[in-house]
Amino acid sequence: MAAITRWMRRFLLVVRGRSVEQSMDDELRYHIECEVAERVKAGQPPGAARLAALRDFGGLEYVKEEARDARGTRRVEDVLGDLRNAARVLRRNAGVTTAAVLTFALGIGAAGAIFCVVYGVLLRPLPYKDPGRLVVVWERNIPRNKDRNVVSVANFEAWRDRNQVFDGMAALVPRPVTLVDGDVPERVMGAEVSTSYFRLLGVTPFLGRDFDAADAAADRDAVVLSHGFWMRRFGGDPSVVGRRLQVSGKPYTIAGVMPASFEPPRFGWLVIQDLWFPFAATPENRAWGRFLLVVARLRPETSLENARAEMVVLGQRMASESTVNKGWSVTVVSLAEQITGDVRTALVIVLGAAGLLFVIAVTNVATLMLSLMRRRAQELATRRAIGASDRRLFWQLWTESGLLGACGAAVGFTTLIPGVRVLLSLAPPDVPRLESIRLDAPILVGVAAIACLAIVIFGAVAAAFGRSAAVSFRPITDRDARTTPRVGGATLVATEIAVALALGVMATLMVRSFTSLRAVELGFATDGVVAARVALAGPRSETPASQHAFFETLLERVRALPGVQSAGLISTRPFGGLGPATEASDPRQPEGTATRSAVADVRWVDTALFQTLRIPVLRGRTFDSTEATGTPHVVISESMADALWPRQDALGRRLHLDLYNGIMVEVIGIVRDVYLMDPRTPVRPIAYLSDTRFPSDTRDVVVRVNGDPGATVPSLRSVLAALEPDVPLYQVTTMPDLVDRTVASDRFTTFLLSAFAAVALMLGGVGVFGVISSDVSRRRKEIGIRMALGARTSVVILMVVKQALVRASVGVAAGSALALGAAYSMQSLLFGVAPTDALSFLLVATALLGLATVATLIPAVQALRSSPIASLREG
Amino acid sequence: MLAHIPDLLQGTLDLLILKSLATAPLHGWAISKRIQQMSSDVLTVNQGSLYPALYRLEDRGWIASKPALSPEGRRIKVYRLTAAGRRQLSHEIDAWRHFARAIDHVVAAT
Repeated sequence: MAAITRWMRRFLLVVRGRSVEQSMDDELRYHIECEVAERVKAGQPPGAARLAALRDFGGLEYVKEEARDARGTRRVEDVLGDLRNAARVLRRNAGVTTAAVLTFALGIGAAGAIFCVVYGVLLRPLPYKDPGRLVVVWERNIPRNKDRNVVSVANFEAWRDRNQVFDGMAALVPRPVTLVDGDVPERVMGAEVSTSYFRLLGVTPFLGRDFDAADAAADRDAVVLSHGFWMRRFGGDPSVVGRRLQVSGKPYTIAGVMPASFEPPRFGWLVIQDLWFPFAATPENRAWGRFLLVVARLRPETSLENARAEMVVLGQRMASESTVNKGWSVTVVSLAEQITGDVRTALVIVLGAAGLLFVIAVTNVATLMLSLMRRRAQELATRRAIGASDRRLFWQLWTESGLLGACGAAVGFTTLIPGVRVLLSLAPPDVPRLESIRLDAPILVGVAAIACLAIVIFGAVAAAFGRSAAVSFRPITDRDARTTPRVGGATLVATEIAVALALGVMATLMVRSFTSLRAVELGFATDGVVAARVALAGPRSETPASQHAFFETLLERVRALPGVQSAGLISTRPFGGLGPATEASDPRQPEGTATRSAVADVRWVDTALFQTLRIPVLRGRTFDSTEATGTPHVVISESMADALWPRQDALGRRLHLDLYNGIMVEVIGIVRDVYLMDPRTPVRPIAYLSDTRFPSDTRDVVVRVNGDPGATVPSLRSVLAALEPDVPLYQVTTMPDLVDRTVASDRFTTFLLSAFAAVALMLGGVGVFGVISSDVSRRRKEIGIRMALGARTSVVILMVVKQALVRASVGVAAGSALALGAAYSMQSLLFGVAPTDALSFLLVATALLGLATVATLIPAVQALRSSPIASLREG
Repeated sequence: MLAHIPDLLQGTLDLLILKSLATAPLHGWAISKRIQQMSSDVLTVNQGSLYPALYRLEDRGWIASKPALSPEGRRIKVYRLTAAGRRQLSHEIDAWRHFARAIDHVVAAT
């Protein structure tokens, strides 16, 4: 504290500069006046008294100098002097300064914005009490090697009652609902949660209460709202607690509102949650099989590994107790990893790329400093010659770098907010925790620390170059202080090329991966197709016949709309998420062979679906309107036919499905394989059942139109509203958009890496060109002599280019190693291209070597063109 | 005979200046006169070291100055003891007493 006030005082003294000097002068003069007056009073003559007083005082200027030192302001004055001087130097070299400031700002802005996003998604602690102890518990299917499977009600209860490692366990299941208390029915995503859920997370309601154990009773009707939903639907009305809310035709009572800061965990099939209902085990949901998500809190003394081990033991015990659990075990993952695991690699890779870009930017600033120092060799040498100590010279150069860096960082900081905004607008919709991305203290401190580190690095480079330039400068014999700076230049060139190569390879791999992802034949045609979901409620939803009749009427009216080519139904559209899957087997395998079986995704479709999505029929036929009775028919995909009846005709075969407690179906057709999840997940066997035979209240309506599919949506809505005003149309997307969305994260990564690589290549090119051309122009004299002595142009050019290429090759070699490391760490992002893809490496390396050659050729040719005499004189 | 305070005892000069300001704020020349007067004309401050010492003490925060006008109407600086200076003064007095006693013992030893 005392030190701070002391430096503040010193600083103020320096700032007041002139008046301080003046007052010292006044003070000393007055002292002498008093002394003279006293001596006169004692009887000395005035002249002699003045002389004596001055003599006694000692040298006035000497005293002043001593006094100045005693004020302790010398160091402040030095720093301010250095700063003034630095500002002058930077202003005089406005071109270099602007380039360096902008380059540094670019590096800071890009790295800072990415860091902000990565910090928000991956590093910021989850906003729950003691979030490190929260875990997600899954069932694990050993034979199918599926380690994160949803959980059955019975197993959840068994875990909850028998485990020794958790303080609490809560089950969750998404529950989409329809709200009809306005004019327009609205489809809202909610979730059923165990009544202990909010307390497990350690969040308390903003208004009202959360659930208590009694809410799980069948006759209770509590609902808790999210803050966003409360604001949107009720305008933030605080009297909402206790009010009734019609949800899917049933009245509920609003028990409470969660705070705005509550980020409900999103994972698995749990997405946006606007309201929460108490989850209770019922005879029906016990029969649904596995569908629950489970969150638990570790006991304080239990580690994740312990919990894992104990739960696996419990899982083994349960597997031996019941046939339903045969082949099942337990997986325990931390909640943070569960939520962010999918995007972790992509974000880390993007952050790494931003880091590399930052390295290039800093190296570039260093090359600019290098050229600045070369230009100032004479000035620095002069300063040194007239007595500046190495220390003072060093500090002065540091101050210049520091000032430059501070300007760059300041500009960079102003780009952080727009940068983060741009990133957020580009970010794929499935990135979790986007709401926790904000610019706050940890980010700013982090970015400032990185900026300081960078300033230290290029400051050290500048100081070292400047000093050696000053030391080795010989005014007459040797105007180019070539030794040390040239070695430094070579290092900078190699660094730039290495880092640019790594970034270039990362981007090329990602572009190639994205291209092959987009080139995947999905098995259906997306253009001109729009899909929307309809969940029927009310009396018409009660019997299968009325459900079927409703959708028939709906489709009839949709088909009558202008521009509609065809319209069909499917239980879940392709790329629309997981649907049910079933075990399918051929009961009549020849004697002695093992029963062939396959796990097949099941989709219920109507007669027009295959035609609407243009899924080619390979053999047999698809459903017609006569499916209502008799043996149910099934249409299977080609990979299912291959799996069950390899090299045999599947048509007419009978098939046993585990669905509906086991049914026998007859194969009537084989269709082309279709990607149901996304283009990365390999095709799986699909069994299509007839919607006519097995109607449901919820279906996707798929419509193929002429022209823009999005334009049909309003008329679809009005057709539905005319038929059933309380039923909303939701999840409305065109199929191209839907497909796009599944590759959104690849597009995000590809775009950012390509942008970084382009900037890196540009910066690298400029930096390399700067260093090499300044080197070549230093050799003008040598080139002049060689030419004058009769060297052939080609020989000289070869000589210069060879030197540049040797340096660039060092960079390419180092960069290839770096790139290989980066490529392996991004392996899980790559699709259809290996991390060792030779083409990508060759392409980028060739481009960079070409760049280095051009950077050399331009100044070399210039040097050759000028007359040898001129360059000799000049040199 | 007037004795100059040797540089060796620079700390002593600090003590004298602080002590001279203990009763009332003074300007530079008055400080040197006050020290002379308090020591019954035994000690006189070398003018050349007075001002650097004043600036150093000010930098340490033990004394503070403010501009004032002399009776003749000239702009001068008047120094006063700060709270920190008062604390420092009592430290310095203790240290001096300790030191002087030690010297006494040495001198009185037989």
